[in-house]
Amino acid sequence: MKSSHVIEAESRFVPDQELVWINSAQEGNQDAFHQLYLKYHKRMYALCWRMLADKSSAEDVCQEVFVQLWQNIGNFKGTSKFSTWLHSVATNVVLTHLRKQKNWLQRIFSIEEHETTEASVEMEALSELDKHIMKLPERARLVFVLFAVEGYRHEEIGQMLGMAVGSSKSQYHRARELLKEWVSDE
Amino acid sequence: MNKVNSEELLSKKIEELPLEISPNRDLWQGVERAIQNKPQVNATHEQSKKVFPMAWAASIVAAVLLTWNVFAPQTTDSPVALVTHMQQSFEAQKQAMLISYGQPNLTELPESLQKQLEELASARKAIETALKDDPTNSDLLNLFRWTQEQELELLTKLYSPQWQTI
Repeated sequence: MKSSHVIEAESRFVPDQELVWINSAQEGNQDAFHQLYLKYHKRMYALCWRMLADKSSAEDVCQEVFVQLWQNIGNFKGTSKFSTWLHSVATNVVLTHLRKQKNWLQRIFSIEEHETTEASVEMEALSELDKHIMKLPERARLVFVLFAVEGYRHEEIGQMLGMAVGSSKSQYHRARELLKEWVSDE
Repeated sequence: MNKVNSEELLSKKIEELPLEISPNRDLWQGVERAIQNKPQVNATHEQSKKVFPMAWAASIVAAVLLTWNVFAPQTTDSPVALVTHMQQSFEAQKQAMLISYGQPNLTELPESLQKQLEELASARKAIETALKDDPTNSDLLNLFRWTQEQELELLTKLYSPQWQTI
């Protein structure tokens, strides 16, 4: 049974209907979980695609986000907004996926990653800025998405990506400079 | 385009970025299939998972403290108490060692080894008696400690598991 503090905190941050879905999903109700999926999957998919710059991977990882959410929703205590908590779950899943994907050469020699190039057909669904974001080098892209789109602080990004705060700031600056250039050329 | 304009344009485009993007295919089917067999992490289970390592760590700390109290040199007011403490520490260490070796029956040892252990025990007792009369004698204290160490060393050689050499 939840303590009165938890219930109070949840009612403070979570809309009533969403709270009902969350509580039901925590008790194993898949229909309620499906409602949460319907509400949030497009946002999670956008986050995954922007961070991964690959549509196919984004679909797989987005599914993994919701599988992880199903397994760990019991840990949501309502001390923050559910959407904030879900975004942190999703970010962790994406970064874990990226770490697994890294080949050993990149790990050892820190070779600068190649720019990602999505098939033009896949890119059609994206906004102009999103198309440019996809072209950013991986580190710059991750920092840019986490800072400018997701609203994380550089300190948090540094911890998530295993880089110094200064590196996070310089990657962000690099991303902005590239994007400014590309946006101006449109 | 000048620098200010491009900065403003980018900021505007960031603000206009859509929060949502629709996937082309239905991702729910895969999620639904996957969660059928995935157990949920219960918050209470999670709590017990956290408690278990803490209990484990606490038991280690307790064991270390207990061992420290038993074996660590303690300041004693009288030299006689020091001898008593050394003997108690030795007995505790010996018992712990024998328990760790599965409490072997010492009477099943070959006679020669039994004789060695008896001689060490006898020497130790003699030194202990002598120390009662002369508890500050450092040579006797060292000898007393040496007999204890020899007995423990012999037990270790007899019963400790041997690593196989490849």
